[in-house]
Amino acid sequence: MMKPAYISAAAALSPQNSFDADTLLTDVISSDNGKLFVKDTDYSKFINPVAIRRMSRMLKIGISTGMKAVQLSSVEKLNGIITGTGRGSMRDMELFLGDMIRLKEEALNPTYFIQSTYNSVNGWLAMQTKCTGYNQTYVHRGHSFEMSVLDAKMLLHDATEPQTYLVGCLDEMTDDYFIVKNKIGYWKKELPNSLQLLQHSNTQGSIGGEGAAFFTITNTSANSICSIEQLKMLHNATAASVQENIDSILSAHGMKLKDIDVVFCGMSGDARFQPLYTPILENTTAHTTVAAFKHLCGEYDTSTGFAMWLATKLFQEQSTPEVLIQKKGINPAINNILIVNHYTLNSASVVLMKKS
Amino acid sequence: MAEKIVVTSLGILSALGNGTDENLQSLLSLKSGVHTPTLLQSIHAHEFLMGEVAYSNDALSAMLGLPTGNNGYTRTSLLALVAMQEVMKGIDKDLLQSEGFAYINANTVGGMCAVEDLYPQFIGDEMEGDFLKYIDTLDCAESTQNVVDYFDIQPFTATISTACSSSANAIILGARMIKHGIVKRAICGGCDALSRFTLNGFHSLKNVDKHPCRPFDNTRFGLNLGEAAGYLLLETEKSAKERGAEILAILSGYGNTNDAYHPTAPSPNGDGAYNTMQLALTNAGLQPQDINYINAHGTATINNDAAEGKAIECLFENNIPLFSSTKPYTGHTLAAAGSIEAIFSIWALQQQKAWPNLNFTTPMEDVNVRPVTTLTDAAINHVISNSFGFGGNNVSLLFSKA
Repeated sequence: MMKPAYISAAAALSPQNSFDADTLLTDVISSDNGKLFVKDTDYSKFINPVAIRRMSRMLKIGISTGMKAVQLSSVEKLNGIITGTGRGSMRDMELFLGDMIRLKEEALNPTYFIQSTYNSVNGWLAMQTKCTGYNQTYVHRGHSFEMSVLDAKMLLHDATEPQTYLVGCLDEMTDDYFIVKNKIGYWKKELPNSLQLLQHSNTQGSIGGEGAAFFTITNTSANSICSIEQLKMLHNATAASVQENIDSILSAHGMKLKDIDVVFCGMSGDARFQPLYTPILENTTAHTTVAAFKHLCGEYDTSTGFAMWLATKLFQEQSTPEVLIQKKGINPAINNILIVNHYTLNSASVVLMKKS
Repeated sequence: MAEKIVVTSLGILSALGNGTDENLQSLLSLKSGVHTPTLLQSIHAHEFLMGEVAYSNDALSAMLGLPTGNNGYTRTSLLALVAMQEVMKGIDKDLLQSEGFAYINANTVGGMCAVEDLYPQFIGDEMEGDFLKYIDTLDCAESTQNVVDYFDIQPFTATISTACSSSANAIILGARMIKHGIVKRAICGGCDALSRFTLNGFHSLKNVDKHPCRPFDNTRFGLNLGEAAGYLLLETEKSAKERGAEILAILSGYGNTNDAYHPTAPSPNGDGAYNTMQLALTNAGLQPQDINYINAHGTATINNDAAEGKAIECLFENNIPLFSSTKPYTGHTLAAAGSIEAIFSIWALQQQKAWPNLNFTTPMEDVNVRPVTTLTDAAINHVISNSFGFGGNNVSLLFSKA
């Protein structure tokens, strides 16, 4: 089994006050139109003022989140940068494609084209941090972020000296994206307020979301927040395979389900995928708190990143905000967190994290 | 010493043809596949030469036994599937499946080749129609998933997008996953289909040439775009021997670095390319003088070839190996370039020949290296294959003779 990797800093831009707020989820943001957009921050704090003028929203969000994680970690030298994104800069793609159709392939602005490439945030982060080391971008739908974490774990497992990688994810929602995916049933027909999403788990569809989360991940436990003990990726997940993977991770670490203090479930309100979480809801004992997060960030390819950021906050604060809780457990401390998440196109993952 | 990673099966579809025989014959006969495109629908199609694969979507579908017409498969997926047919001939599917394997794909714009035609319907008022089959094809993993479904296999899957180094990165990831014991084998590579989106993107950057591209030539102006799919089956030497598979080449090293210099341009003195090739050499435990041939990235853009040329000059000093860009044969096939050029590099080892750099007449003024311009017989034991992308994403692969 691969050695654990350690998170030394974490940052997230999300539809919630996750970036600048001093307290966790005390001022919760909701929406009624089926779309949750990232709450903007002052991006000029993180990006060169000349460069920022031409940058699209996704680039600003991704770069700022990555830079904030680096600042929080006070790491001097990154060994590499690894990101995952299902969609890249969706808006840049739409603008270049829209212009190309409208202007009949004449006089197009190359900026949109350049920024629409999936690795553009990675390139900018490398420039801003002067990191000439390993650089990688995964674009595998609901496993994009998970692949980034796995890659970092493989690199750190092999490292013979202390190393730190910046690992993150980014995905963007747009009005057009919402229209397009609505045609194949991604979203609920009757849109509830986002905070009520999970009370509508008897119908098909979810609500759209987006976000970015970045972590500095190292092979030294000193001064770290928590470890990523193990990560499993599941294809064509079923309730049984989710259960099997949870069981195998727990037994590999000599743990029982009751040792898990909080389990984050990626319930999206979509009736088709709700059964994947049934074993967790049924098998967890009074010890474990069951938490959800997609009513706060919406559904998107790399939402595991938001859950992982929440986990780091729970470890640090040792309490679980009410708005996350689906079923409250009695374990007094938060030392072990499990994330179980599924994304629309048949990918699921299970992650075990431990407080350092 | 870690277990050797070897290549045991290949699959390729490019403007040079379908499969190993057609592609290799074209290289041996110095025959370029770049021409005025006949399939790509673009107002600029007649202005540029491209490495367009000769088969229509219907013809590709027929080769795969799929229904023709709007079958829900994008050209990107069809290219990948045809190339994968050849790889799968090289191994027993049941063995592959039972012992555990990965399929690592790479791609730059997913099914954009189909989406760009349908986008007005995607965002319009229509709620029903054939276009619905293509709504989930925009992302880069669509071709990956189609390969998994078509061949009815259950690999560990991943998709990478680092612009023009994407499939070279897929090869590195596959090798690392085997070394980590996560899988026993990995099929790695990439695919990209020509699209108006990509053509107009590069055209708006003013780095597409209307004439045949001229890598490392002083008169170079830009690239010719191409489309292709290429995949390599990687496994350990031990596992290849166990099943009696022919070893085509050894993947003896690799390097991945970032320029950290500019979103689209390489560092002008070639630092990035230098570091990447150096890292691949270190990883393989080899010295610059051990390299006999470099399959250069050589896009024929002003910036790339100057930087890459300087890096080669700097790293190899008085022992400049034979080097060439094969982009004049295939066009720049973007996410597929790393894997099809890895295949060309393996053939260089097998054939003991360096592929000539077509269209070269005038040496660059500021760089003192010249590519090989004739089909050259040479003792070739170690080859570097370079792939450098937007975002500063650089990869060098180092293959050695089996």
